[in-house]
Amino acid sequence: MKDEKKEKLLEEVRSIVSQCDRCGSCLPVCPLFGVKDVEASSARGKNNIVRALTQGGLDLTPDVLAAVNFCLLCRACVNTCPSKVKTDEAMMAIRQHFADQQGGAGVKYKAMGGMLKSRALVKMASGSLKVMRKVGLNRLVPGGMVPDQFTRKQFLAAFAGPAALGSQAPASTVSVSPDKKVAYFQGCGMRMMFPEAVSNTLAILRTITEPKVVDNLCCGLPHVAHGLRKEFLEMAKENILLFADADIVISDCASCSGTLKHIAGYFKNDPEWKERAEAFSAKIMDLTEYLAKAGYQPRQRTNATITFHEPCHLGKGQGIKKQPRDLLKAAGNYVEMDGSDTCCGGAGSFYIDYPDISAKILDKKRQNIENSGAQIVVTECPICLVQMNKAANKSGGKFRAMHISQII
Amino acid sequence: MITNEIKEKIRAIVGPENTLDSNLDRFGYSYDSSFIALLPANKPDLVVRPLTTAEVSAVMKIANENNIPVTARGAASGRTGGSIPLSGGISLSLDRMTNIIELDEQNMMVTVEAGVRTIDLYNFCAEKGLFYPPDPASWKFSTIGGNVAENAGGMRAVKYGVTANYVMGLEVVLADGTILQTGGKAIKNVTGYNLTSLFTGSEGTLGIITKIILRLIPMPKVRNTLQLMFPSLDDACATIHKMLQAGIVPASAELMDKIGLQAVARHRKIDIDPATEACVVIEIDADDEANLEKQAQQISAIAREFHVSELRIAKTFQESEDIWAIRRGLSSAVGAMAPTRFGEDISVPRSEFPEMVRRIRKISEKYDLVIAVYGHAGDGNLHPSVLCDLTIPGEEERVHKAVDEIFAEALAVGGTLSGEHGIGITKRPYITNALGEAGVNALKAVKQAFDPKGILNPGKIW
Repeated sequence: MKDEKKEKLLEEVRSIVSQCDRCGSCLPVCPLFGVKDVEASSARGKNNIVRALTQGGLDLTPDVLAAVNFCLLCRACVNTCPSKVKTDEAMMAIRQHFADQQGGAGVKYKAMGGMLKSRALVKMASGSLKVMRKVGLNRLVPGGMVPDQFTRKQFLAAFAGPAALGSQAPASTVSVSPDKKVAYFQGCGMRMMFPEAVSNTLAILRTITEPKVVDNLCCGLPHVAHGLRKEFLEMAKENILLFADADIVISDCASCSGTLKHIAGYFKNDPEWKERAEAFSAKIMDLTEYLAKAGYQPRQRTNATITFHEPCHLGKGQGIKKQPRDLLKAAGNYVEMDGSDTCCGGAGSFYIDYPDISAKILDKKRQNIENSGAQIVVTECPICLVQMNKAANKSGGKFRAMHISQII
Repeated sequence: MITNEIKEKIRAIVGPENTLDSNLDRFGYSYDSSFIALLPANKPDLVVRPLTTAEVSAVMKIANENNIPVTARGAASGRTGGSIPLSGGISLSLDRMTNIIELDEQNMMVTVEAGVRTIDLYNFCAEKGLFYPPDPASWKFSTIGGNVAENAGGMRAVKYGVTANYVMGLEVVLADGTILQTGGKAIKNVTGYNLTSLFTGSEGTLGIITKIILRLIPMPKVRNTLQLMFPSLDDACATIHKMLQAGIVPASAELMDKIGLQAVARHRKIDIDPATEACVVIEIDADDEANLEKQAQQISAIAREFHVSELRIAKTFQESEDIWAIRRGLSSAVGAMAPTRFGEDISVPRSEFPEMVRRIRKISEKYDLVIAVYGHAGDGNLHPSVLCDLTIPGEEERVHKAVDEIFAEALAVGGTLSGEHGIGITKRPYITNALGEAGVNALKAVKQAFDPKGILNPGKIW
C-alpha cells in the first residue's frame, strides 16, 4: 500500500518533468537563476535533475536533495514555459517522495509544522513566542533571541514563503449578494505578525457585511510545501467543517486563499471528502477579489505614491492582478514598479538555507521599489510583507511597507 | 579525464567558483534542447565559465596541450546537440561574457560579447532606434554567440535574412589559444578569405567565438499583422509567392498546416473551421501608416485571388498579439499531441514548399505517422514534426525511416538538411547525402587546418 502510494507520486513527478523539452525559456525568468546562474539552479536544471533521478541517471545524494529544495515555487517558470511544465508541483511532489522515503520531513519542518497545527500554540506565538523556544525553533532561526518584533518576522520567514500551490486557481464564481454569510479566515502569519492589518481587514469587511470570525486552523501551506501532506489533509478536514455554514470565506493572506482554493484537488480521490472539499474551495475568496466584486471603494484617498508588490500566490497562483491595483489606484497615486510580480525571495526555509541568495533577490526588489519613486509599497501576504519591511529598513526610510488593508 | 593538476591550472585562470566538477553540475551541462536522450548523460569532465577572451585563450592553450575536448555552450537552447559535450572534456560556458562593448551609432554597428542574450542586444539597439532583425524562436533566452555559431534564422528571415547577414566581424579563440580577429566595420572588405563567414555557422568546431561585430538597420516605424485562412495549402503558398513577386516583402510569412492549426485550437480552446487546410500569419512593417495600409490592401487583394476563406487585419496591438499567439503556441501545442516529437528543420527552394509538404503527407501515410508541418513559408524553411510514441513496438523504426525519407525528399527537390538549427549530432548521418564526399572532405580539410588535434566539439557535423 505504502509502496503503491510512493510509486504513484513518483509517476506523477515523472509525467510532469518529462514534458520539459529543455528549450531554456525559463532561464531568464527564474529569480534563483538570476542570482545563481548555474544550470542546476534553473527550472530547466531542476526538472532534468528530477527526470534523471526517476530514470536512474542520478542517485539521491545530498546535493540532489538540496537542488530540489532550491526552488521558490514561485511559478515564474510555469507562466513563461511554452509547454506549461509545472515545475513547482514537481518539486513539491519529489520533496514529499523524499520525505516518505526517509521516514518524514526534516526535523525543522516537522517542528514548525507541528506548532502551526495547534491553534493554541499559534495564539501563544502571537503573544510572546515562548513556544518558539519550547519547540527549539530559536536554534533554527538566525539571531534566535533578538528582540521580539524582529524574531517574529524571522520566524514566519522560516516556513512557507512563495510555495506550493499547484496550477492556477480559477477565479471565484461566487456572487456577493448581501444575504450571503461571510466568514473571515485568519491566517497564522497575519495573526502572529500583523494583527493591526487584521483589524483593518475586518473593519473594511464590516462596511459591507457582518463577517463571522472563525477560530480556524492553519491553511496547511507550510506543511504541504515540505512533505507533511498527512498533517495538511487533517487540518484541511477540520477547516472544511469549521466553515461548513459560510457562503463565502475571505482571507487577506494570498497564501492562505491560494492554498484553500486548492484543497479540492487534494481530495479528488477521496469519496468521503471530495464533495465537501469542492464546496469549500469554491467559496474561498481573496480579500481584493471580494472587494472588487462587492464594488468597495477605499475609505480615504492619500496623496502618497503607492506601488504594489504582487505576491506569487495572488497573481501567479490565483490570477488576481487587476483587483488590488484598481483598489490602490482609487486609494492614492499608484505607480507600477518594474518586476512587480517577481518573487521577493521570502521563501521561508529558503531564507534559512540560503540567506545570501534570498537577500540578493530582495535587493533587486528594493531597487525596483526605489526606482518607482513610491513612498509606500503595498502587498497582501504576510511573508511578502516581512520581506518588504526588511527592504524598507534597508532603504533607509525611502519607503514604507503596508498590508493592503491598511491603505484602502 | 582531466587530472587534478590541470583542473588546478584552470581554476587559477577563471577562479574556483567558475569551474564546476561535481556530478550534479556536470549533469546540468550534459544536455541541450535537442531530442538526444537525456540518459546516459553526456557529462563534461569539467564546466569552465570564463569571463574574458584572455581567460578563454588560456584555457584553450591548456586544453590543446593536453588533448582535452572543448565544447562551447551559450544557453544550451540548440535543437541539434551542438553544445552537448559528446566526448566529455570541458564544457566551455560563455554565459558570463555578457558585455555590450560598443554601440557605434554612426556606422550603425554594435560590438558584443558572445554571452549576451539576443533579446538584450535587440532591446539595447531598439532604444536607439536601431534594429537587429534576426529573431530565432529562442531569441528571448539564447545567446548571440550561439546564434552566430549555428547561424540561426528566425521568422523575419524572409525580408531581413539570417544571423550571417548581420555579422561583420568576429573575435575567435583558436584551438591552440591564438586570438584571431576577422572582418571589421568596413562594409566592403575583400582582403583575404572571408573567415567571418567561415566561422559563422561552424558549430563550435573551428574556434570559440568570443566577440561579434553586428550590422544594424534603422528600426521600422510601424508594424501590423494579418491572418489568412485557406481551404487549400497550394493557394496559401501561391499567395505568398505572388506577394513576393509583386515586390511586397513581408517581415515574416509563417505557414501552418491543418494538424498544427487544430492542435493550437484545442490547446487554446478556440474554434477553427475544420475546412481550413492552411493558415498564414504575416507581419508587415513600414515607415508610415499609409504604406502599411497599402501593403495590407495589396496582400488582401492577392489572397482573395487565391480563394482566402478568412482574412483578418489586426486593428489593435492586442489583436496582433492574439494572432501571433497562435503561431507561438504552435510548437508546444504540436508537441503535446504525442509523447515524443521529432522536430526537423529542412529548407527547400521557396517554389517547392507546397510540393515538399505534399511529399511529407505521402510519407506520413506510408508510415502511418502523424506529421505536423509548419514553417517559414516566405523563405522555404519548414519544420515537419513527426509525432510518435516510441513505446509502441516498431514505431521507432518507422519514425527513423520516415525521417530518412523526409531528408531524401528535401534533397530531391533541391533543398537541404537544415535551414537554421545546424547539423550537430542529430543530422550527422545525412551530411554526405547532402554535400557529397567531396563536400564533406572539404569540410574536413578546413577543420584539419584550424583544429589539427580535433579537440573542438568532436563528434559533430560529420
